[in-house]
Amino acid sequence: MTGADLAFWTLAAIAVITGWRVFRTDSMVRATFFLLTSFVAVGAILLLLAASYLGFALIFMMAVEMTVMALFMVMYMMNPAGLNPMNMIHQPGTAVAAGVGVGAVLAAVALWVPFPHSAAAVPPSDPIAALGHELLGGSMLVFESAGVTLLAAMIGSVVLSSRAGRYGAADEGSLPPGLEPGGEPAGRRPAPADGGHTHMHMGDGTGGHMDMAMDRGGGDGSGDHDHGGHAAPGEGPA
Amino acid sequence: MNPAPVPPALAVAVIVGGLGLGAWVFVLLDRAATDLVSGRRPSVRPLAPLRRAAFLLVQQRAETERPDRAVWMLAPALYVAFAAVGAAVVPWSARLAPADVPVGIVLWGGVEALAIVAVFLHGWSANAPVALVGAYRFVALGLCFMLVSMFVLIAAALPAESLRLSAIVASQRGLWNVVRQPLGLPLFLFVGLGLTFRGPLDFADSADLAGGVAAEVSGPSLLVWETGRAAMAVAFSAMAAAVFLGGWLGPWLPGPVWLGLKTLFVMALMAGLGRSTARLRTESAVTLVWVGLLPLSFLGLAVVGLEVLR
Repeated sequence: MTGADLAFWTLAAIAVITGWRVFRTDSMVRATFFLLTSFVAVGAILLLLAASYLGFALIFMMAVEMTVMALFMVMYMMNPAGLNPMNMIHQPGTAVAAGVGVGAVLAAVALWVPFPHSAAAVPPSDPIAALGHELLGGSMLVFESAGVTLLAAMIGSVVLSSRAGRYGAADEGSLPPGLEPGGEPAGRRPAPADGGHTHMHMGDGTGGHMDMAMDRGGGDGSGDHDHGGHAAPGEGPA
Repeated sequence: MNPAPVPPALAVAVIVGGLGLGAWVFVLLDRAATDLVSGRRPSVRPLAPLRRAAFLLVQQRAETERPDRAVWMLAPALYVAFAAVGAAVVPWSARLAPADVPVGIVLWGGVEALAIVAVFLHGWSANAPVALVGAYRFVALGLCFMLVSMFVLIAAALPAESLRLSAIVASQRGLWNVVRQPLGLPLFLFVGLGLTFRGPLDFADSADLAGGVAAEVSGPSLLVWETGRAAMAVAFSAMAAAVFLGGWLGPWLPGPVWLGLKTLFVMALMAGLGRSTARLRTESAVTLVWVGLLPLSFLGLAVVGLEVLR
């Protein structure tokens, strides 16, 4: 067993074990960076295969991608630290079926695709240049179409997902319901840009109530108050 | 073109020795810059960093409630390790290149990306609010300035027609990149200030967050962290010297001396800029990078591309 063999088996074990840990951990951040460790190990295996550009590019891109993923996933969760335990597994049946299916297809490809056996067919003198010529030559149409398709998919998914808000469609004015039927929408609204006046809010319920009553009486409708904050028990809008 | 491989023992000695010495010098430079900015006469106390290191080694380790202990211990060490990996690809002369991989620039990009991950994990794993805020603030900025770094470095690789660092240095024989690509070095310095969190991009472990990602860290872990900060500044300076200031190129003196002098110059620049510029607000920094610096780096890349085609 040579040093390269030892390195390969070690890296392969790291890749598989950390990949398995992705699904056994209970934190999004941990899952993300286990996945990154798995990818880094795969990148190092590519380096062993003398594909230095692909190896380093994989490590580089996955580091950036996993950072983006951790940042955005945690940003959208109610558990911002990602340290508290949470269930990381959803739809396990579908996931297992999809995983086994895709794994079988990839294994079939690995087993039945004819790989070159003779050394004569293998190395182009400069693999980086060969890769560049392939990307911007023969396969340019494929890669450019894939790139444009991905960009369109990203824009489309943002458009589709940003329309449906928590309180209705965004283009119809998504507003939270009132605190009582027919009441003003709850929650904080941004102050109007054209010099909305500010009130001194007192800490107790009475102050808040007076403040709100004045607001109604004045009828200015500037609405730069946190109405939700005044909804003390036993106190309703006037 | 490809230099003969350096014996592994010599390569390790060069990297560790260079980074260790460099980190020590950088701490002194940083101290002197602080003195200058605060109107004192700059004092050079060569033993002060070593004394602090000895103190941190025996200091008690602080604890937080339920940290991710493994990551908390590993993250600072990873930051140092990435600095060493980044420094390894910088060639000291035409013959002395510890690890002159054919895609050195891409490797450096990976080092930047993984260093950002290490800083984030360091702040995250403490399970403490201030450290977490520092981590998020830093990672949001890191994703922005890393793009600038990529375009700037690709622009430097274009005239060399190679991603290999020694080829990029050799391509500056006639004219250094700092003159040929005037946008490159200033943009790259901005990236460096972000990567080592100083000056305008002092977001990770800054005083306004009571220490940020390092707020809860003490003892040997803090020593590793502070060593990593200095070592990353050195690795970055060596990279900037090689890519923009002609690396080992220069008259009379041998190549490694030239690289050392240029690295020292960039280190002084980093320490000075770090201490003399104010921290931006996070929002302004994000806007500045996306709206200002990223288009500038595109422009630089386009101009270099046209020059190469000509």
